[in-house]
Amino acid sequence: MSEPAIQVQDLHYAYGDLQAVKGISFDVQPGEILGFLGPNGAGKSTTIKMLTGQLTPQKGTARILGKDVTKDDPEVQAQIGVCFEEKNLYLNMTALENLDFFASLFGIKDADSLEVLRRVGLADRAKDRVSSFSKGMRQRMMISRAFINKPRVLFLDEPTDGLDPVTSAAIRKTIKEEAERGAAVLLTTHDMFEADELSDRVAFINEGEVVALDTPESLKLKYGTRSVKVRLRNGEDVREERFEIDAEGASARLAELAASPNLMTIHTEEATLEQIFIQLTGRGLEG
Amino acid sequence: MSLSRMWKVLRKDLALGPRSPIFLWAIILPFALTLILQVAFGSLFDPQPRLGIVDDGDSYITESVTDMDGVDVTLLEDEAELKRLVEENDLDAGLILPAGFDDAVRDGERPELQFFIGGESYASNRIILTVTTLDLVREIEGSEAPVVVDIVNFGDAGLPISIRLVPVIVFYALVIAGLFVPGSNLVEEKEHGTLMAMLVTPVKTADVLVAKWLLGVLLASVMAVASLALNGVLGSNWFEVILVVIVAAMLSAALGVVAGVFAKDSSIMFGIVKGAGIFLFAPAIFYVFPEWPQWIAKLFPLYWIIEPIWQVSVMGESIGTVTGELAIALGITAALGVLAAWLARRMQAQMAAQ
Repeated sequence: MSEPAIQVQDLHYAYGDLQAVKGISFDVQPGEILGFLGPNGAGKSTTIKMLTGQLTPQKGTARILGKDVTKDDPEVQAQIGVCFEEKNLYLNMTALENLDFFASLFGIKDADSLEVLRRVGLADRAKDRVSSFSKGMRQRMMISRAFINKPRVLFLDEPTDGLDPVTSAAIRKTIKEEAERGAAVLLTTHDMFEADELSDRVAFINEGEVVALDTPESLKLKYGTRSVKVRLRNGEDVREERFEIDAEGASARLAELAASPNLMTIHTEEATLEQIFIQLTGRGLEG
Repeated sequence: MSLSRMWKVLRKDLALGPRSPIFLWAIILPFALTLILQVAFGSLFDPQPRLGIVDDGDSYITESVTDMDGVDVTLLEDEAELKRLVEENDLDAGLILPAGFDDAVRDGERPELQFFIGGESYASNRIILTVTTLDLVREIEGSEAPVVVDIVNFGDAGLPISIRLVPVIVFYALVIAGLFVPGSNLVEEKEHGTLMAMLVTPVKTADVLVAKWLLGVLLASVMAVASLALNGVLGSNWFEVILVVIVAAMLSAALGVVAGVFAKDSSIMFGIVKGAGIFLFAPAIFYVFPEWPQWIAKLFPLYWIIEPIWQVSVMGESIGTVTGELAIALGITAALGVLAAWLARRMQAQMAAQ
């Protein structure tokens, strides 16, 4: 296995008396997407701020591409891309000017900003000022800005928050492409479906601590239950029956229902990440 | 700190400048103030007397009047053209000097001098041109005036108010362009989160702050020099004037960066400028009221940049006479730089905590 792109060990940060991050440890390999799943205030953004140099860790170590983040090394900064939750674009600049400016800060002389805009479907609006863009278009701009330097490490903070399903799907597709290119992606979200779809591994964060860290499948196997939902016609009504696959007599009951002339549908069901999160922490992801 | 990254940030700010109302205001204000104050106290729109001359010889009168400030002289070849221009009020007066006029005057021949007056001309201009012409004829004749005129000045014999207002105009050019533009620009970057977006790239806080400072220095220097030129006090020692203006802009822009780093948002920034306004403006008032005790002006920080500009630009002194003031101004600028660096760490923590 290659050296992790992100290595975090026992990271701590407190805002005054409020301990926001309490000994978080994890790593992210090149080409891997790690979903950081947790409710607001869980410590996700504080962790990203420490990793991107906005905050200095009060305890513990954090390394990006093998280098200590507290050293404030421009070479490391040149290798990271950040998509903030806040849409902090230059509204008086055009889309192209925004990307060209940030490309220049990364020292890229011949950035193909138009191609980056094409990837997020904004090439035809390249010369329009960002102030005229919709919320979804601004979010796509945020993503394109994070990609402009072809980063080896990507920090994406709620990249699809509040977007319509079509735009969200388009953004998820580009995130997957970046990971396939070899970028290590730390994806912060409280959207369980997004985390499930994109993440190779998921870290559950609650009250500043990692309460579980594994692949979504392993977490579901470990903490969830597999079940079957069967819908049957019952005169004018529809009757539902749900039972656990691994329960005693489940196979026989399933065979019986499958043979019924009133059978309408059979669905297998597995626990969602949110259900597992609630099971582990006693609270939901939206809290 | 990197020169290349500073330049990229500065270039972006300069390119975005014309899209910012505050930037445009900084450019317009000195021109607007000059216009308003010149109309109120100066001579911007006072019409100069316009004299046309047809000189068939090389008269001393033509030579003398052409050299005079405050008289607009037009030399013509044709007498009919001169009459037409006076009749049409394109000239206030016309003078025809025949060949040998000066010699005839000196010989006491009392030659005829044709002097046309435009009927629509200002009475003041007619009087000025008539008296000036008669004085010059008397000079040719070599005679003394029949009376001794005793001139008594009422009021102070100091500089006209239009000149004493120059520090006020330069103050506004320096403060709006040097202090307010970089300060509000920095606050805007904080409010919109674009500063944080820059700081997660290889750009460092120092790169951004120095770029904002340079923006203020550049804009304030240009606007202050333009203000001095507009008010006619950018003399032959223009190079020295530019040097003292640059020192002034450096201090002003350093104040702007400190204010910008300190202020969390635009309302606090406006509050700082409004609250500190009289403190900053005070030294400029002492030039308008020279009878006030001038030592008080030295208590205010911007005195140390206004005074060198006043001495070198308005009074025509050499830069060597204000080295003490310039040294103090540079010292204050350096201290503000240290303060900005200290406040920047607090600013970064505040932004990240939001």
